Amino acid sequence: MATTLLARELKRGSTQLLILALLEERDRHGYDLARLIAERSHGAISFHVASLYPTLYRMEEKDLIDGRWIEKAGQRRRRYYRISKAGRAVLASQRSTWENFFRALNRVARITHA
Amino acid sequence: MDWRTHIRRALQTGVNPPDEDVVEELTQHARAMYDAARAEGCSQEAAERRVLAQIDRWRDEKAALRHKARRASAVEPPPPSGSAIAGLGHDVRYAYRLLSRQPAFALLVVLTMTLGIGATTALFTVTYGVLMRPLPWPDADRIVVLHEKRGGRAPRFGSFSNTAYLAWRDRADTVEEIAAWRPQTFTLTGAGDPERVRVTLATPSLLRVLGVRPLFGSLYADKDDTSRVVVLSEGLWRQRFGGDPGALGRILQFDGEPYTIVGIAPDAMGFPDRQSRAWVPFRVPLPAGNLLAMFEAVAKLRPGTSPGQAAAEGSARGRFAVDTGMTTMAIFGGNGAVEVAARPLADSLTADVRRPLIVLLGAVGLLLVIATTNIASLQLARATTRRRELAIRAAIGATSGRAIRQLLIESLLLGSIGGISGFALAWSLNRGASAILPADFPRAQDLQIDATVMLFTAIVSVTVSVVFGLLPALQVRRMNLVAALAEDGVSPAGGGRRSRIARSRLAIVAAQVSIASVLLTGAALLGRSFVELLHADRGFDPSRVLGAAIPMPAPAYTPERRTAALQDIVDRVRAIGGVRHAAFTSEYPATQGGSTSSMTLPSRDGSGGTIVAQASPRLVSPDYFAALGLRVLRGRSLLDSDTQTSQRVVVVNETFARRYLGDTLDVKVPMGVWGGSPHGDATIVGVVDDVRYVGATVTTLPEMYFTYRQLDVGMRSTIGTLLVRADGDPSLLAAAVRTAVRQTDAALVPAQLMTIEQRLLMTSLARPRLYATLLGCFAIAALVVTGVGLFGVLSYTMAQRTRELGVRSALGAQSSDLVALVVRQGMRVTFAGIAAGLIAAAWLTRFIGTLLYGVTPGDWPTYVIVAVVVAAVGALACLVPARRAARLDPLRALRS
Repeated sequence: MATTLLARELKRGSTQLLILALLEERDRHGYDLARLIAERSHGAISFHVASLYPTLYRMEEKDLIDGRWIEKAGQRRRRYYRISKAGRAVLASQRSTWENFFRALNRVARITHA
Repeated sequence: MDWRTHIRRALQTGVNPPDEDVVEELTQHARAMYDAARAEGCSQEAAERRVLAQIDRWRDEKAALRHKARRASAVEPPPPSGSAIAGLGHDVRYAYRLLSRQPAFALLVVLTMTLGIGATTALFTVTYGVLMRPLPWPDADRIVVLHEKRGGRAPRFGSFSNTAYLAWRDRADTVEEIAAWRPQTFTLTGAGDPERVRVTLATPSLLRVLGVRPLFGSLYADKDDTSRVVVLSEGLWRQRFGGDPGALGRILQFDGEPYTIVGIAPDAMGFPDRQSRAWVPFRVPLPAGNLLAMFEAVAKLRPGTSPGQAAAEGSARGRFAVDTGMTTMAIFGGNGAVEVAARPLADSLTADVRRPLIVLLGAVGLLLVIATTNIASLQLARATTRRRELAIRAAIGATSGRAIRQLLIESLLLGSIGGISGFALAWSLNRGASAILPADFPRAQDLQIDATVMLFTAIVSVTVSVVFGLLPALQVRRMNLVAALAEDGVSPAGGGRRSRIARSRLAIVAAQVSIASVLLTGAALLGRSFVELLHADRGFDPSRVLGAAIPMPAPAYTPERRTAALQDIVDRVRAIGGVRHAAFTSEYPATQGGSTSSMTLPSRDGSGGTIVAQASPRLVSPDYFAALGLRVLRGRSLLDSDTQTSQRVVVVNETFARRYLGDTLDVKVPMGVWGGSPHGDATIVGVVDDVRYVGATVTTLPEMYFTYRQLDVGMRSTIGTLLVRADGDPSLLAAAVRTAVRQTDAALVPAQLMTIEQRLLMTSLARPRLYATLLGCFAIAALVVTGVGLFGVLSYTMAQRTRELGVRSALGAQSSDLVALVVRQGMRVTFAGIAAGLIAAAWLTRFIGTLLYGVTPGDWPTYVIVAVVVAAVGALACLVPARRAARLDPLRALRS
């Protein structure tokens, strides 16, 4: 029970971080984001694609990211997301929080993250 | 497969159609997913199953799959038809109705504005009137005030000598004309009740230099410079003759001398200021018999010449000045070459008040900033509660420009009411200004509220209105229309602190606290300096001493008669109960005195040579030192036993002793310093402490005290000074002293009958007191306004955080925790403001360094006190919101 709760909590906190980190590289559309999260974690983070869009809309509402429709030649119209200034600030602070968290874990339980 | 229809159906809730944007986005996702599955080698059915499973999961989340509009995507209204000001009248009416529905808010804003604009306008009136308004005399910018020095030494009194004046007067190239004047106070008789009036003794050239034009009659000319004629000021003429033109040719008496009225001059032309009620001719005396006469002098520059050129010419001409030998030594303390300085009249009149006025204007500007930001903060709070109103207006087609115009019109309406009432406040303050300003404040009569001041008030009011109207208007531009309409007046938990508006308001309060700290530091420094001045060691004890000036004009009173009358008065006063000592003197203590002498004394190096000494002789009764509490440092003071038949003695002050005496007191001073027949020498028998001119720019000079009992020449000074040391409150003796004077001689009227402390407050302490008081008032006003601002913001955030606090309370937070929460928020802002304020103060107080006495701008205890006081005010402002937090009922808070 307790582990499930922790896992859910960790996932909720990490989703935002993952999205922001991916958008930091370049602007992406929703499918791209879902695919990359699954790919890069080698399936370890079984990302629930259903919650991706609600998360994106929430982040957009909070001004962390900006979504806009872009039509590229020879492609279908797609909604691309771009990280905002506030998003970058949140990403930086979350990164340091996670780093601290892992460092603390490591000190206590000698768990090392990549 | 048509994924779009599937998705639209999946997201359909009730009658609400799904968000088309979302449908489109998810359709793209579904297509990409299908393509990818096929690319992986899935069969068509398997790929479709995978996508349909995803659509099912989206259906579970459909409530969250909606965009919330982030901008007011209201329908733009049709382009405005007609003029740009269409609807302006409607906006004004709307603003009026809105404000009359919130009278408390409107009143608070108007009161704050009244305070800020009133104080600023009042001080601007003074600053403008004194420093900027053109002088009343035509071409006044070409008038310069002349000062003379000899070998670098300034004269003991007066500014210019007759020898330098006469050497220059008839050969002036750089100036059109030079003129001399001397202020004098006469007893006016022959036209109603006797009255002491200030009169300007002026050379006929002064009337030309100033460009005075008579209202009636004529002015006097060069040929009249010895006649007994007078030009009255319009004010004196109206007061004494009711404005009757028939007054011309009438005769009135100044100190018993008859003068014929030849003209009436406008009050505005009064010189050096409007206090002067009349003009009488003054002739610069020739230096016959080594006479060196001192007076004030001005000159009018020729067009195109500079004051520097005039000064150079004056100095050059001064080389041909007649040498008056010892008299020059007596007055200048040296006999070097004449050096003339010329300074523009406006500068010269206002130089020593320029800096204080600018400092005070800056301070009142800061007060206005605090007041304005308080209003802006109030408006911000109001803007939050008005979000729905503005959102509705936007929803039915108002552009954001229109909404901003509406807000600005509201601000301007409040601003104009505040501006008008502030102007009224300034007007009444200005009427009281003459009572507040010290008597010697330059151009105090030029303070009037005119078109310039009105324009200033208008500009300030409009600027202030726009500034405090703009902040909420900016919030309107950022408004999320849907969110504003949806929130229904309920704010999210924690929003009270995190919202942009709340943060702006906290920042505003921090800025206010820092400004208030700056003002308080300045006021505290000036206040401490004033206290230092008050308790400074003056060499004598000014407490419990009553002083009175007793004018005894010639020729009614001869020098002998004056001494006799004063002796009689002192005897009568001594008999009054509660009088410890009574004495008289020829010069008021702590003034420079009206006469100075030079004499030769044996050189202090014992070489047998002589030195020329300069000192001010004063005639006193023996009790003078006791009455004043003047310390005797060496030898003895004067005694009743020092009479005509005993050895002639003199007591000198410490400066005299330090400058001219060696270890022994046994030095003879020639009694000839008193003029008249020679009386041999007087022996120095004692040294008393200096009477110090604390806080003044002048320093103590050598002084000699002679007893009237050994001077048969009597007292030449036409004003005797009575000093009475009391056992208790000296002011209680005033009536009895007045009676004693009248009993001696019914014609004598004591003037300036007041304690020495009162007189110090009116003279040398008057300006320091004024500056300290004004800055103190501004600082207190700033503290109050800041306190109210902090209180307002905390109460507001408290209200916004009610639900959050309720949750905390329900989860077990004690009321002390909730209090700590509120106090921490308030005090964090306060301390940030104090820190910034004290740093700014450390830099800004350098500008008042020259106004301080006995305390430096970096005086750290003052900073500590300021920090404590401001923190206390901050804590006080936290008190009520904190108590409210402590009493919070969690159930009610959660339900709200």
